[in-house]
Amino acid sequence: MPLDTSTYGLALLRVDGRRWNELRRIHGQIRTQAAADGSSYLEMGHTKVMCVVTGPSEPGPRRGGAAGGASGGAGSGGQSKDAEVVVNIVIAGFSSVDRKRRGRGDKRTLEMQFTLSNTLAATLHTHLFPHSQINISLHVLSQDGSLLAALINAATLACVDAGIPMTDYVTACTAGSTSTYAANDEGADPLLDLNHQEEQELPGLTVATLGESDKVVALVCESRVQISRLEGMLAVGVDGCKQVREILDQVIKAQGRKMILEGTVDKGTGLNDMDLD
Amino acid sequence: MPITILSPKPSHPPPSPHDISDSDSDLSSDDGGGGAHLDFASLGLPSHQKSTHPSNNPLFTNLVTPGTLITPDPQWMRGHGTYIPPSTTNITSSLAGITTRTNKLISVSPLRARYTPEVGDLVVGRILEVQAKRWRVDINSIQLASLPLSAINLPGGILRKRTETDELQIRTFFAEGDLVVAEVQQLFQDGGAILHTRSLKYGKLRNGLFVALSGQGGGSGVVRSRRQVWTMEGQNGGGKMDVILGVNGYVWISKHVEQVAKELEQKHMGITNMEENVSAGVYSSQNDFIDSATMREIARLRNVVTALVENGCRVDEDMVIRGYAEACEMAMLGETGAEDIYLGGQRGEELTRTLRN
Repeated sequence: MPLDTSTYGLALLRVDGRRWNELRRIHGQIRTQAAADGSSYLEMGHTKVMCVVTGPSEPGPRRGGAAGGASGGAGSGGQSKDAEVVVNIVIAGFSSVDRKRRGRGDKRTLEMQFTLSNTLAATLHTHLFPHSQINISLHVLSQDGSLLAALINAATLACVDAGIPMTDYVTACTAGSTSTYAANDEGADPLLDLNHQEEQELPGLTVATLGESDKVVALVCESRVQISRLEGMLAVGVDGCKQVREILDQVIKAQGRKMILEGTVDKGTGLNDMDLD
Repeated sequence: MPITILSPKPSHPPPSPHDISDSDSDLSSDDGGGGAHLDFASLGLPSHQKSTHPSNNPLFTNLVTPGTLITPDPQWMRGHGTYIPPSTTNITSSLAGITTRTNKLISVSPLRARYTPEVGDLVVGRILEVQAKRWRVDINSIQLASLPLSAINLPGGILRKRTETDELQIRTFFAEGDLVVAEVQQLFQDGGAILHTRSLKYGKLRNGLFVALSGQGGGSGVVRSRRQVWTMEGQNGGGKMDVILGVNGYVWISKHVEQVAKELEQKHMGITNMEENVSAGVYSSQNDFIDSATMREIARLRNVVTALVENGCRVDEDMVIRGYAEACEMAMLGETGAEDIYLGGQRGEELTRTLRN
């Protein structure tokens, strides 16, 4: 069903009733799998992703078996000075509207694995774990647009849960434009966080930034769009990433507070607790 | 059509201490499951809209997340879990954890992380590879640890020289899959560890049960403490049990065997040359006979340990011994008596609640 973009100009509301700068509901959980080093579950609207992190651990086919073949690896080989980040994405057959079987060598999945592993290898402090490997395994349970963004956010949550040092959160978000490339509409509004329908019809990009800064660590654009519209889209996307960071930060902090209240961790000593000396 | 996963509902609302519920609404988990719930974090509302903002609680002031600026003041030194971005003096956290200050050193201890070995740690490990002169041992760390042939007690005494025959027979001491208890002797620059078993306390493990616990680093799970190996009396007709809490989160619970003492009696030897008389029996993989009552108590002890971890308690000697006594009492109150060793779910929560009070 083609997306009717003509109504947007009338009410300034999108197909799902959002304004141009509204995110969908984001719900995150960490520590979902007790046996894993780090794990997370993330929903961005109806896009639902599960992530499990194993490691840093000894590299080799023994653990996970993902070292060769279909998975993307970055940060160089296992015997090098830095830890290798190996990402493995599994897209469930039931995750989209039309049941499609995606094999191991699916080009789209491979590219996402590659993007993700490069992004994370640049942000995680892999130099602290020489000769080791960080395995990130992602399962897509349901897709409704912004898949890459959801994968990046879920992987970030799981890495924080696994206690892997990183420069800052990597948060991602998509941005689009209200009219198609063919319409060549100069006055098109930028849109934040595209759903599946919008992603099919409208030009869009995925942007990932580092924490609260404006540093872009990943930018993927697979559609045709006029260069004049790109700046607006990017600005809206970067702004969305900051909102996402705030939400993910709350998820992590809630877990931390819970652990402090339960007495699992000490409350620590800060810079101002001078009386302890 | 997109699917929704509902989180399982507890049969009764778990008792939430009042300080949890008024500090953060996320944590009072009787909100009807994950699918439809609109909590504070999911809405992404600015935090100041909450009446009682959690960051006002003095308990939480030292909680940091990756990218949090700890201090821009150059007088402090940066420790683990922090970094300084190039061309600044800002000490920034790289982990989700708790800041700790030792004089001028600021470090962040993670809420959870993999085990990092330190010299002198008692660890339980599993042999994964056998190489020419050493074994590679999984100790749940970022790399496999190595146990050199020269760092074990060979049968026949401490003065015996290691020969080529020993190298050829390396599998007769430890083979793949064997469990060992060892001590970290030395660390490599890159974080790898070298183990040794040159003591009667260490060596191959048998007659028991292995438990792997997750959640290291932040203090849940096994903590480094004064005593990590002890023998305790089994209740309900069970014999004595040995417990080894490896700092790496691997735990070994076994039937207590008084082998060494017996051997000494037979040979009429002093305690001084005990280590010289390590017999080949130390490297045996054959289990002794274990009666079912002891087996049951070992299993109960294992359930106590997992229940402690599940509910975020520290695992140390005191907690395990008290937990075991409490678990025995709980079992006796039930219908099936001593046979009831189940400590999951609500029973585990009940157990840890009694221990905390």
